[in-house]
Amino acid sequence: MMQILKTEFLGLKLKNPIMAAAGPWSGNGESIRELLKAGAGAVVTESVVSDILFDVRPRIAYDGLGAQNIRLYSGIQIEGWERELAIAKSEEGVVIASVTAHTPSETAYLAAKMEKFGADAIEVNLSNPMWESLEVVAADAETVFKVTQEVVSNVKVPVMVKLSQNTTNISAIARAVKQAGGHGVSAINTIRSILKVDIDEAKPVLSTYGGYSGVPIRPLGLASVAAIAQTVDIPICGIGGIADYRNALEYIMLGASAVQVGTAVMLEGPEVLTRMTAGLEKWAQEKNLKSIRQIQGKALKNLKSFDEIKIEPATSTASGAPCTADCGKCIKCCSYHAISKREDQIFVDKEFCTGCGLCTFVCPAKKLKLDW
Amino acid sequence: MNIRHIAKEAGVSVATVSRVLNHPEHVAPKTREKIEKIIEEAEYTPNWFARGLNFNKTGTIGLMIPHILNSVHMEIAKGVEDVAHRKEYIALMCNAERDAAKERRYLEQLIKRRVDGIVLICSSLGEKDFKMLEEQNIPVVLIGDHKDGLGLHVVSIDCRQAAEKAVSHLLEAGHERIAMIYGFEPEVENGHKVEGYKTALEKRNLPFREEYLRTVENSIEGGYLGAKKLAELEEPPQAIFASSDYIAFGVMDALKDKNLKIPEDIAVMGFDNVRMSNLVEPKLTTIEVPLHKLGVYGARLLFDLIEGEEDGKEAKTILLQHKIKIRKSCGHKERIGEMF
Repeated sequence: MMQILKTEFLGLKLKNPIMAAAGPWSGNGESIRELLKAGAGAVVTESVVSDILFDVRPRIAYDGLGAQNIRLYSGIQIEGWERELAIAKSEEGVVIASVTAHTPSETAYLAAKMEKFGADAIEVNLSNPMWESLEVVAADAETVFKVTQEVVSNVKVPVMVKLSQNTTNISAIARAVKQAGGHGVSAINTIRSILKVDIDEAKPVLSTYGGYSGVPIRPLGLASVAAIAQTVDIPICGIGGIADYRNALEYIMLGASAVQVGTAVMLEGPEVLTRMTAGLEKWAQEKNLKSIRQIQGKALKNLKSFDEIKIEPATSTASGAPCTADCGKCIKCCSYHAISKREDQIFVDKEFCTGCGLCTFVCPAKKLKLDW
Repeated sequence: MNIRHIAKEAGVSVATVSRVLNHPEHVAPKTREKIEKIIEEAEYTPNWFARGLNFNKTGTIGLMIPHILNSVHMEIAKGVEDVAHRKEYIALMCNAERDAAKERRYLEQLIKRRVDGIVLICSSLGEKDFKMLEEQNIPVVLIGDHKDGLGLHVVSIDCRQAAEKAVSHLLEAGHERIAMIYGFEPEVENGHKVEGYKTALEKRNLPFREEYLRTVENSIEGGYLGAKKLAELEEPPQAIFASSDYIAFGVMDALKDKNLKIPEDIAVMGFDNVRMSNLVEPKLTTIEVPLHKLGVYGARLLFDLIEGEEDGKEAKTILLQHKIKIRKSCGHKERIGEMF
């Protein structure tokens, strides 16, 4: 079953590339089992910390698009994870331990313990956009190098490092992970955010800065994964706003070996993984693939630098297309004043159209297209 | 039938069977049930005598603290106790009261009581004592920097770096004449803090002034007396860095008595971030030391040794992160709250 989805990541054999990300949904052995049963290719544990902290209340907010959280870490001490991992590992599947700490020796200690308790790999979480301060740890290549090196030299299982989009050059950070002997990276973590402000109360919805996740951060995640894939030779796990199997494919086509799903699991439960893997398998079959790995990085060849783009003299073409809708969206959005409507027809003035392409996205009926 | 047969039959390691016998709560229910069933069917009973040899433990650890009235030490002690309690151990707390002779007497008592291990907080014990403990096969973990810590497990923070950061913060706030008041003890840690103070000045090419460095008793009273002297200097400092929050509280008290405003006339920087530092007026800018976590890691390393899990028992140092807590006692009007 599902031969087509079998893959490898960090040297681990996965039954499919869709993993459950670290979070409260993977906060104990039973929950991890549920996620594995639902079809997760692997599960990353909720992040284990040195000393458990009190839970801030409330700590998760959601606006229908994305979610902001403040402080989501394991409420179970490291000693308790011996039991939780034993329970998790009683279900067949790969379990990756997420660890969060502040110094190399502290991080390595937690990682070594989780390895001893049976974790198949370690995810070092260095990029919490909360709790720390304005300086994101994962934005400093030297710190990332030191922590990665210390963890790698203290465990035998593979080590990946979770990176943050809150940095100027994510490739430089991924390179530091590779140079330190890290086996892979996962990207991206949540993004520093304030979800919204209640303007009647003049009060942010949560009491401090938090991490933004969910569908709205997907474009940022895709760009980060693509940038790493194009510049550093290291296995990548794509994270950020994956809501269905197509999003997983986007990440894989931009170079990810596997992906992690967090917010969708939080909102819809473990079954979302069942739906995603089924959708992915069906798609791969329809495309006559032998293995999902065939499409890994396939979109990268169509992702160019400005220098490499060959400029085609394309313009919008819709002239004379019949349109009975009264929305006028294409006309309003055309900054070049090239679009007009006469009677029930759309006209594009090729003299003015610069081929920006916006109208082709804006038109609800998709009547406009770019061509030459 | 012995434990190896049981393990073989269950397809698990000897360690797992042992865990079912000793700490069943740490074993996954499915595995536990399976092993228990095999044990029952085989009518296996552990060899309790052999067990006694293996588990020759008293279930107690020693916890040596420099002074029971110092809340810094109590927070560390709480971290040790939290872990010990979860391990169903009792921590015997010994209050050395900054008295080397008393500390040594306590050590002898702990050895007599056959504790399974000892956590020493900022200890004055030395090489000779450690050798004796090694001969007695009693594992030791040190919390805080130590002069003879070589070859032992240590949990600490980087005091040099922390002090340098504290003084740099004062320099960035525009102060150039910065004094430091440090406690007689803990000697090694405070020595490192003085080094950090000097390094920060050096990096700014500022002269080190002997009259600006004062050593006092590590207490509120010590801080009071030290600050009084500094304020009476012909050219008093613009800022005072204290090696502990308690000293800083005394400094603040003395400055108030001299009718000096904090931070307008003189800035005060603490060290430790004890609970009270957020309650004094003005709130004290200080270095946050992860006190509870120091205790937690001290105990964790000790139990790793007691349970014989440390490969080769190679000396291990766990360095924890300190952090500057910017409040109101050093100026910095544009930085709000404690967040940054």
